[in-house]
Amino acid sequence: MEKENKILEAIKVAFNVEGHIAREKRVMITANKDIVSSILLFCKNQQGYIHLNHMSVVDRIEDGKFELNYIIWSPTEKVTIMLKTFIDRENAEMENIDSIWDQANTYEREMREMYGIQFPGLIGRQDFALEDWDEMPPMRRDFDTHAYAEKTFYQRPGREDAKDVREELTKQSGEVIPDFAKKYSRE
Amino acid sequence: MSFFDLKGMLQPLGAVKQLGKKPHTINYPFETKKTADRYRGLHYNDLQVCIGCGNCSTICQNDAIDMINIEGVEHSRGDSGLRPRVDNGRCCWCALCVEVCPTGSLNLTKDYIYVTPDANAFLWTPGVDNPEGKNDISFTSETEFSLSMYNRVPMRELEGSERVKSFAEVVLGYNEEEARAEAQRCISCGLCTNVCPDTMHIPEYINAIASGNDEDALRIIYDNNPFPEMCGKVCTRQCETVCALTHRGVENDPNDKGAVSIRWLKRYATETAPTAAKIKEILNPVIAEPNGKKVGIIGAGPSGLTAGYYLALRGFDVTIFEAKAKAGGMTVYGIPKYRFPMESVDKQVEYMESIGVKINYNTTVGKDITFEEMHTAFDAIFVGIGFQKAWTLGMENEEIQGSIPAVDFLDIINRGDKYDVGKKVAVFGGGNVAIDGARVSARLGAEVVILYRRRVEDMPADWEEIIGAQEEGVRIDPQTIPTKIIKGADGKVAGVEFLRAEMVADDKGGRPRPVAIEGSEEIFECDTVIGAIGQEADYSWLPESFKDKIEIKRGMMIVVNEFNQTGDPKVFAGGDAVNKTADAISAIADGYAAVKGISKLLLGHE
Amino acid sequence: MVREKETTLYLGPQHPGITGNMMIKLKVTGDTVVRAETHVGYLHRAFEKLIERRNWLQTFTILCRFCVPEPDPMELTYARAVEELENREVPERAEYIRTIVMELARLQSFMLWYAGQSGSAGLYLTGQWSVGDRNYILDLFEELTGGRIYHMYIWPGGVRRDLPKGWKDKALKTMDYIEKRLDEYNKIMFDNTIFQKRAQGVGIVPKDKAIEWGVVGAPLRGTGIKHDVRIDEPYCAYDKLDFIVPTQEGGDVWARALVRQEEARQSINIIRQALEKMPEGEFYNKVPNPMKWTVPAGEAWTKTESVRGEVGFYVVSDGSNKPRRVHVKGAAYTNGITVLEKILPGQNIADVSFILNSMGVCPPEMER
Repeated sequence: MEKENKILEAIKVAFNVEGHIAREKRVMITANKDIVSSILLFCKNQQGYIHLNHMSVVDRIEDGKFELNYIIWSPTEKVTIMLKTFIDRENAEMENIDSIWDQANTYEREMREMYGIQFPGLIGRQDFALEDWDEMPPMRRDFDTHAYAEKTFYQRPGREDAKDVREELTKQSGEVIPDFAKKYSRE
Repeated sequence: MSFFDLKGMLQPLGAVKQLGKKPHTINYPFETKKTADRYRGLHYNDLQVCIGCGNCSTICQNDAIDMINIEGVEHSRGDSGLRPRVDNGRCCWCALCVEVCPTGSLNLTKDYIYVTPDANAFLWTPGVDNPEGKNDISFTSETEFSLSMYNRVPMRELEGSERVKSFAEVVLGYNEEEARAEAQRCISCGLCTNVCPDTMHIPEYINAIASGNDEDALRIIYDNNPFPEMCGKVCTRQCETVCALTHRGVENDPNDKGAVSIRWLKRYATETAPTAAKIKEILNPVIAEPNGKKVGIIGAGPSGLTAGYYLALRGFDVTIFEAKAKAGGMTVYGIPKYRFPMESVDKQVEYMESIGVKINYNTTVGKDITFEEMHTAFDAIFVGIGFQKAWTLGMENEEIQGSIPAVDFLDIINRGDKYDVGKKVAVFGGGNVAIDGARVSARLGAEVVILYRRRVEDMPADWEEIIGAQEEGVRIDPQTIPTKIIKGADGKVAGVEFLRAEMVADDKGGRPRPVAIEGSEEIFECDTVIGAIGQEADYSWLPESFKDKIEIKRGMMIVVNEFNQTGDPKVFAGGDAVNKTADAISAIADGYAAVKGISKLLLGHE
Repeated sequence: MVREKETTLYLGPQHPGITGNMMIKLKVTGDTVVRAETHVGYLHRAFEKLIERRNWLQTFTILCRFCVPEPDPMELTYARAVEELENREVPERAEYIRTIVMELARLQSFMLWYAGQSGSAGLYLTGQWSVGDRNYILDLFEELTGGRIYHMYIWPGGVRRDLPKGWKDKALKTMDYIEKRLDEYNKIMFDNTIFQKRAQGVGIVPKDKAIEWGVVGAPLRGTGIKHDVRIDEPYCAYDKLDFIVPTQEGGDVWARALVRQEEARQSINIIRQALEKMPEGEFYNKVPNPMKWTVPAGEAWTKTESVRGEVGFYVVSDGSNKPRRVHVKGAAYTNGITVLEKILPGQNIADVSFILNSMGVCPPEMER
């Protein structure tokens, strides 16, 4: 854990951020969105973490936040840093880092399209995988894929006679499931 | 290197030598490829084994499986009557449906070619549309690596030698971790609800426990059962006999058959509320405004209390008349305290009284108040008198000192009185009451033998009661027919004479009958004989004038309709005196049904 | 200087070479590519969104569809992520079986690569041979897993079934056969002047930029940089096995081809070792009832080396019975988009699909 401690300490000293070692070769850092690019630059230029492994976003809809993750890796240390930051879900905006790593451009274009996160100064085609999409960014938790599918496509006829087992059993026995209990019935 | 590099030009021409080789390909259609032994091809479902639990349909992430009614399959005990139909246009042959099938009826076959010009024909019912698939099964899920969990989380109990020292509760109950693990096994099919006399919402409350919401579980349970703690400890649990997991779980454990431990989970949920006040706090019951209607209830047993509780919630003025000093009926006076402690009953009754149920203790109808008086004073009457009177053995010396019916014996002990059973005890019968009598006697320090007419596996008692008794040193002597109680010189019981029996197959296809073997008389010397061969109701309180309206059929049963209404529209009845199963959960169901009937009668809606 | 006229050329979206449905918009002057712009979006199936509606076990049946030529690393990476979240032990035998499956998957994918790489150079025979021989590996898969292409075999806790009887011998025999065949492929492909001419000096990835650009897998090792997840962060039984991670200098299509050629041999070597060293015992640490199986809240990032390079899974659990987020980073996500856009300019139009194949471009895993 020597290497992991070394980089964790270096980042902590330089930026005064929270962090811990999740397991061997995994260093987790949580930072304010304003200093994310500085930390990335610091890691890339001074600590040898020159490989951008992955960028991801998790919709923390219950907190009104997007959780952004930057996963970078050092070919010499073989250690992965997972840098995490939270941004507001409303008018979500994050600094563009494609000047640090070109390939971040792809990730950011995808995030913009799938989550509606804006990256000022991001160059590249507006759409990534979706074309003529006019609904809400589809990877947001509040976009209901099932409802969209129901609305957009039609079910092939011939399967209407399908029964719900639990419902059928209540019909047979006369059981009345109270409404508050229904959320615990089989999905 | 240039284009005229000779080696680089000639080397590839070596491929020509492949010309003479035998091709790798299969000469289709003269030959067909043999598929692997675990190939995941089209579905086959054994319709006889399938129970229509729908687990396949739930796990299918492609929504490819529908549960449908098919011709020739009717719903029955432990079978929803539905069978899966697969949309092969959606199926991805992941075989998760096979992995989660609790019975192992659903399998995949080696068949994978299905060609049809009709797009609708891809929708077909395995087993119905491909009966020949039976011979072609390849991908199956053995019990060992099936995703259904067939092993029950074991219940911790006191050691047998420890138990006989006191009347302390034998079963220790699940802790939180055990309960969550056990609840997780449930596949939520709901087949159990169909055999529960009270149709409790079993999958829902188990799911609530599995997801860590014990209070919700309690609320769901109280929806139609105000005695969950009692059911959680001593229910006859028909539900567990039809659990989808029993079909293959029986391979692992022939006793519990791997059924989800529904009873113990209910018990666990009730432990969320250790006091009556806590029950009230969690349930936060909505009590309707008084509607001015009065209902009188005879007997504070499970059926009477259930009716009383739900009627009180609906705004009725409820008065219960109980002949004894405590409410609870047979569950208090008939069930030994090592199975069902007194505090459990008191807690439940206290909660009911707190929401407005009035109970008049030590008040016997027919003595302290007449039925006629009740009939005029109340807008409706519910009769929940139970089976209090034991059947007589019809045996010589039955009335002498040392011979006692089990219900009376248990009643004495549960009241806290003393009864001297002596050193040796013989118990007649094979039901739970007989075992109760035996295990109580063992706790009083006696050597106990149960004499039962049939084989041990024929005993109607719960398997765990039988095992529990054996662990406590009770000896079961099966295939024995008691013939005579022997009177000693002091006029008390000195022993019992019995005949050995052999089992004779029944011509009519019923269970084998015991037939006494001539000359096999034996004598067991004992101080006490406890008879537990059945009980019946006592209708001495019912005036003759009502007997033409309230019909009492053979076996001393009161005849009622679906709302537990008797021939007299004002009079409802429930409990052992009405239903054949004669257990607490049926009594609760009767009480609940009568509530609907009484509401309909007096308020005009169920 | 006269500025030559630029023409726009659309490569795809119907299978440029045989890498999948995507489109590359090429600006060309004469035969030379001046600019390349990748367009994905012809294969988007919203798998990551669908996964959020499925429980932890149902998810595993979708994963194989992220990349058709090599579905198994997806299953493994996901399984390992879930195991990490849960601290679930995997039996040692399962680790060995997983290693074998992984290498068989790599081997069959190499066979497809042989077909794509030589096919895009006009040498169709290698492809016919290798795809034909690949079926022997698929036969092994069929016997082991019940499926030929989509195996759905590695799941959290271990693998679905143990090796069938006699499978080991059959696998060893197949390895002997494939090894022999690899020599024959060499004669018609690597020894072939046409292939050499087409591959050498084409599609160069610069060594000094490779890691920073995010290049992974054979294209990275083709520049002389020795990185392989199997040794950098060993998983399954790789740390108990002896194998070489080949590298080549040059960074061109030829170097990448030589790396893959040797890796295919190493796969055979690993499979033989794993089959020998595999211990007896359990192969599966059973998960709870899948419908009620919850995974503790947390996040995991796991990586696996596939033929195209590193496959990463970022899996987040919120403690419920469904994943909160499963984000898949296929090797092609960088190799096939930004890196490709950088190395195509200056190349001949005819070499574009040739380079696509050598970079391991796999559209289904780029847009998922």
